[in-house]
Amino acid sequence: MTDQALIIQFQNGDAKERAFTQLLKRHRENVFFQIKKMVLEHADADDIAQAVWIKVWNKLDGFKQESAFSTWLFRVAYNETLNFIAQKKRLKTHSTQNEIDHAFDHPSGHNGLKETAIQIKLERAIAELPEKQRFVFMLRYYEAYDYEKIASITGTTVGGAKANYHQAVKKMTELLQQA
Amino acid sequence: MNDMNDMENESISKNLEEALKSFESKTMQVPAGYFDQFELDLMQKIKAEGQAPQKARIVTLFLNQKKYLVAASLVFAIATGYLFLNKVENTTNPIAKVEIIDIETLPDELIEAYVNNNELLAEVEWNSAIESAGTNLISINN
Repeated sequence: MTDQALIIQFQNGDAKERAFTQLLKRHRENVFFQIKKMVLEHADADDIAQAVWIKVWNKLDGFKQESAFSTWLFRVAYNETLNFIAQKKRLKTHSTQNEIDHAFDHPSGHNGLKETAIQIKLERAIAELPEKQRFVFMLRYYEAYDYEKIASITGTTVGGAKANYHQAVKKMTELLQQA
Repeated sequence: MNDMNDMENESISKNLEEALKSFESKTMQVPAGYFDQFELDLMQKIKAEGQAPQKARIVTLFLNQKKYLVAASLVFAIATGYLFLNKVENTTNPIAKVEIIDIETLPDELIEAYVNNNELLAEVEWNSAIESAGTNLISINN
């Protein structure tokens, strides 16, 4: 059964819960890992993912299927993640920074000390990227989404999404090269 | 990742690519059975939210007509003020006219008639004033 058919089933109210859990099973991992790449901490990613799916449950009745479900879902995830990060910033508890500091103190890499150091550097570089650049980069690099879809998700133009991606690559390369 | 064009692949250095691979493997780590538990927790939360009593929606009356309400209040205030001032003017005018009358301009007959009519009354008031003053003096002397 396609996403579209499941959404229609949900909107018609027949086997609403079943349709929803099918959609959840199909997309939960992609959404969760995308969020986790943004915030790094498992507990934070879990909170955001829960909020995303609750919003999906509440708003799916009004979803007009003008875009693919996954585009809409990632847009919800994008907004929730940005809200969460903004809230954290307001509370002055930078989870990403804490996570990185923790990683510095307790290196857990399984490929030796050298790789852990590079990884920590990368995490620092990722944490320094603006949220939008970070989200665009993750969608493009790990999910291999096309720029049209990324632009729809992040509410930008195709050119803007491309620029965000290249800026992210440039910054990360520069930061990794720093001693 | 596989669909990326050559230009993009070229722009990512080997160093960065390795780090990104390692970053991915780190972020992909979740506790065993995490997603099944996630689903259970989520559905429980959704059901709990559905059973929770709906918060009453607060509807503010006349919210859209706010500017009309302000305008109406102003019109009312101006009208009330105008009517009040007008009324005061009307009631004060006759008094003012009486005060303006000069006693010298009145004919003697009119003054005489007034004195005759009020003589008795004035006398009674005068006598009672003298009486009360007298009792006061007696009480002081005693």
